Amino acid sequence: MEGDQSVTVFFAGLAMHILAGVAALVVRASLLRNRLVIVLLIAGSAVAAVPAFGVLTGGAPLLARWPSALPGGDWVIGMDPLSAVFVLVMVLVGGACAVFGVGYMRGSNGSDRSPASHAAVAVLLVSLSVVVSAQSVVLFLVAWELMAIASFLLIMTDHTHADVRRAGIIYLVVTHTATLALFVMFALWTRASSDWTFASLAAAGTGTAWGQAALLGCALFAFGIKAGLVPAHFWLPPAHAAAPSHVSAIMSGLVIKTGIYGLMRVVLLAGPPPTWWGWTLLIAGAASALLGVLWALAQHDIKRLLAYHSVENIGIICMGLGLGALGTSYARPPIAVIGYGAALLHTVNHALFKSLLFLAAGAVQRATGTRHLEELGGLARRMPATWGAFAIGAVAIVGLPPLNGFVSEWLLFLGLLGAAPATNAVRLSVLGAPLLAVVGGLALACFTKVAGVAFLGTARSGGAAAAREVGIGLMAPTWTLAFACAAIGLFAGSAVAPILHVAGLFVGPGATVAVVGSAIDGARAVTAFAAVLIGVVALVAVLRARFLRRVVVRQGPTWACAFPAQTPRMQYTASSFANPIIRIFGGLAGVREHRGATVYHSSARDLVLDDLTLPAWRGIQRLALRLRPMQQGRLHVYLLYVIAALVALLAWLVLNMPAAS
Amino acid sequence: MNETALRVLAVAGALGIAPAVAGVATRTKSFLTGRRGPPAWQLYADLWKLLHRGAVYSESTTAAFRIAPVVSLATVLVAATLVPFDGRAALVIFPGDAFAFAAVLGLGRFAFVLGALDTGSSFEGMGGSREVMVATFVEGSLLLVFAATAVVTGETSLSGMFGGGLLPRWATAIPSLVMVGVSLFAATLAECARVPVDDPATHLELTMIHEVAVLDHSGPDLAFLLYAAAIKLTLLGALVSGVLWPRSELPPGAALAGGAVALVAVGAAVGIVESATSRIRMPKVPLYLAGSAAFALIGLALLLQ
Repeated sequence: MEGDQSVTVFFAGLAMHILAGVAALVVRASLLRNRLVIVLLIAGSAVAAVPAFGVLTGGAPLLARWPSALPGGDWVIGMDPLSAVFVLVMVLVGGACAVFGVGYMRGSNGSDRSPASHAAVAVLLVSLSVVVSAQSVVLFLVAWELMAIASFLLIMTDHTHADVRRAGIIYLVVTHTATLALFVMFALWTRASSDWTFASLAAAGTGTAWGQAALLGCALFAFGIKAGLVPAHFWLPPAHAAAPSHVSAIMSGLVIKTGIYGLMRVVLLAGPPPTWWGWTLLIAGAASALLGVLWALAQHDIKRLLAYHSVENIGIICMGLGLGALGTSYARPPIAVIGYGAALLHTVNHALFKSLLFLAAGAVQRATGTRHLEELGGLARRMPATWGAFAIGAVAIVGLPPLNGFVSEWLLFLGLLGAAPATNAVRLSVLGAPLLAVVGGLALACFTKVAGVAFLGTARSGGAAAAREVGIGLMAPTWTLAFACAAIGLFAGSAVAPILHVAGLFVGPGATVAVVGSAIDGARAVTAFAAVLIGVVALVAVLRARFLRRVVVRQGPTWACAFPAQTPRMQYTASSFANPIIRIFGGLAGVREHRGATVYHSSARDLVLDDLTLPAWRGIQRLALRLRPMQQGRLHVYLLYVIAALVALLAWLVLNMPAAS
Repeated sequence: MNETALRVLAVAGALGIAPAVAGVATRTKSFLTGRRGPPAWQLYADLWKLLHRGAVYSESTTAAFRIAPVVSLATVLVAATLVPFDGRAALVIFPGDAFAFAAVLGLGRFAFVLGALDTGSSFEGMGGSREVMVATFVEGSLLLVFAATAVVTGETSLSGMFGGGLLPRWATAIPSLVMVGVSLFAATLAECARVPVDDPATHLELTMIHEVAVLDHSGPDLAFLLYAAAIKLTLLGALVSGVLWPRSELPPGAALAGGAVALVAVGAAVGIVESATSRIRMPKVPLYLAGSAAFALIGLALLLQ
């Protein structure tokens, strides 16, 4: 009975989100419409989060089943602890971003498009929740496709610009490639199962080693594209930069996490994966992390930069997934639990701080009218609330204490170094720890660049000099996410405990109580460490205030070695700040420079898109042009083709007919 | 004396003699280059003077500039509680605190670079940009050292890695541990802005890394930043001495005194290196950092055999 009630509550939450979309389309008066949409979004998120929270705190998993006569069998939806974590993230972060979107679209010039946009956002949120809670193949694929199409429509909001259209088309083609691979995977898998629910897929198993390799290969391809693992990441930066800011937040924070959910669900359903899966995920994750943050450092458009950071963090999450898989493959359950736990916690944390950063970037874009770092500056004075939220997001994404990014990177580090005393090949994963440190150092360089160039110093353009703080409708969801980041950082023990219990699903019951207990104790120590850090900072601040009270304090122009006539153009630019590191990596960073006698211009290109994918695409088009002569446009040629195909089929049938008895 | 009181004494003592360690380096340099030079306690006098001097704040700076010295000093103080100065155990121990050590130093660096960019001057911007470049690869080096000591000792906390676990392995893994120690010393020179990466005694702003980023700070703020730099040298020097001279078998008092002697020896070693080599050119700094990381990587590879 209780399970049924919880399922009803979950559906009620989803229904409220759908109602929000309907209200956006139906209600005419814009003020009433905006307020109604916001109320329905917040209420729907809160209501849908309750059963997810219940499952996570020890309740029974939910399940609901609708018999269906359509091909594909019954539609099953359910929430086990893994789904519950993802539903909680989707619903709460998605609700905050959608509420931001209501205020954001109100201020833009295309306000006649905002009803359709809000409806599409509602559809996107509902499809996200259904993707992570679907327990049958058809429901999963329907929700997956709905999510892809809703994202495409939202990316194309500003479709009058050519680069937005290009980004949308690239996104559409790539996401359907991933969907095709999913079709192949499910087709292979459902051959051996009785019906098309996930429970039957788990019971059917994956068959032979080659069958398992094909299944897992398709899953890695499809979900890797969706998540944005290098080299399948090239659709991410154009799409996330072209979309409106709240849509970029939802896509970076939530939609790419469905790829991570898919990878984890496949491992849960298919059983312990072979060793190549773990090593592939670990190495691909490490490469994504390093290349993603390097390419982010080369960008000077805030949203493209944040999109590349999503690639980096997906890489870190996949390193955790790989470590977890290696733990199960090499029979080291503690490493498996910590690896999967770190991946799951980093998924939650990344959803929080990446959405926060995108929303803050949206506020900056709304206030200054530009996304380019080289035109910003001095915004800390003019937009203090946005600066505070962005600073919290920046400290969180670099993985510094006392915020939440540190907790998940600490857990991953614990797992990587915990593999060190092993005697088999899993020891080599200890090399991931220095790589994580280099990635963290590059992330620190990138975010000091963004925060310093955009918010500190003096304004570099008129737009930045005239910026005004955005309203409470935009700041409230942003600061809610910031508080959530701080809460997970400061209460690490309470956040890590349920995550590690979910991670225990991957190794089976009972094998992990000791290591989970010690990791939770470590997380409590991290909480105490964060509290001590804040306390010492406060103490030193008080000390400084006491010293300053006794001396003369004056204001003056910037000293800078007595160089007079400082202008805003003499500040360090974003390209200059990133230059030493970019030069070390040479061609790998993809920065193209043009030097004239009095002119310097640098631009960043995506190596995979510009050097691999687009040339390959043009090669396919040339090949297709060679086949062009087949299409003459004349009816009798086509009739000839039909007759030739019929004759060939008849000949095959005759030759293969069983002997007449 | 119980253990906790001893560890508190160790931390307090290390924080107390931190300015003297930098002074020992300067004294060694003066001795080797035939100059009279400032006394070893010069930094104490400088700090006292700066704390009682007035401060001038630039009009283009915001709270970030004022918070930078506070966070820099607070983070190295918190990091000091994680380091085992007496070669046996630190004041605060928890699993994975080696990563917390690196991360909390990163927080100090983050605030420091933001404070530098807040002034809107190209000198400080250059200093911030070079500082993060050096820091990226120094962190890689540092974590390679931690990975090597984790493989040796099986521990993930600094007290486990640099406290008791290394002594038994000195008998069997001398080459790797020596390489790890050399790599850690090279990383210390880079992190603490010493020759051959950054010359603390230069007057040319375009050749500076750390010095140029603090150009606008004055008064108590500058005192906090100088003290934080001295403490950082002490912390990393204590880790170097933990690798090269494990003292876990000694009685507590002797281990503590040995820690102080080891810090003086590290200071002298820094002074010798500063007298023997010159600062390398800025484009060659990444090669130096890669070299120090390579030492640790070779040591790790030998240990993973």
